[in-house]
Amino acid sequence: MIEGKARSAGIFATACVSGVAAGMFGVGGGVLLVPLLGLLFAFNQHRAQGTSLVALIPPTGLLAFVAYAKAGSVSWQIGSLLIPGIFVGGILGGVLAKRIRPLRMRQVFSGVLFALGAWQTIAAWWS
Amino acid sequence: MPRRNSSMIVEILLLGFGVGVLVGLLGIGGGVVLVPAMVYLLRMDQHMAQGTSLLILLPPVGLGALIAYWKRGQVDLPAGILCALGMLTGAYLGSLIAIPLASRNLKGLFGCFLMFVAILLWRMTRRENGAGLLVAGERAGD
Repeated sequence: MIEGKARSAGIFATACVSGVAAGMFGVGGGVLLVPLLGLLFAFNQHRAQGTSLVALIPPTGLLAFVAYAKAGSVSWQIGSLLIPGIFVGGILGGVLAKRIRPLRMRQVFSGVLFALGAWQTIAAWWS
Repeated sequence: MPRRNSSMIVEILLLGFGVGVLVGLLGIGGGVVLVPAMVYLLRMDQHMAQGTSLLILLPPVGLGALIAYWKRGQVDLPAGILCALGMLTGAYLGSLIAIPLASRNLKGLFGCFLMFVAILLWRMTRRENGAGLLVAGERAGD
């Protein structure tokens, strides 16, 4: 196991990589950070998710957001309409998560995500 | 067309709700679902969807969840702070790469990114399955 400073430097570098993906694809970055913390630094699933949440509390996407806004690529109207739904839905999801086996759920989700990704790639380049 | 507008608003509110349920269920950011949803359901351009997703992710939507993890001692705070700093700089860099790209190419790259993330998530669940006993032991220790 890597110790001390080297481990910290590794975590920082991993976060930078997740950040590049976050800014490039307009996502939170947690979706990459959580598995990377788990696979590279042996965090268990809960600890990886908890630690990733710390990183997502400050507006880490702020600089990226400003860059998109300057380029005119932000829809304020639709964005502000989506926020309340996500907030309420998130509470319901948190309640549901306690009743469903999380492992099976994540497996289904990764399958759906893969299909979605394949579809989007094909739609962009082969049609 | 006020009628079409209002049905559009309901559609957007429902979409947000659906994405929110997934966020709460899986404990991951909504962006990875939000962006394709905005592209396909709301017919947004890829860049616009990504910029809007970043806007939505600005408020600390994960605060409630963080508190729950914190209470169970499942947070590595120094590592989390390092990650926040890394992501702030990294995300800016990423946006500089994405903005000049053609929308079509960005859409294709996003698709590849989704597939990559899906594989990582799958590997994580397999590892977790193997470590099932360990996790159960940890829970018992709480």
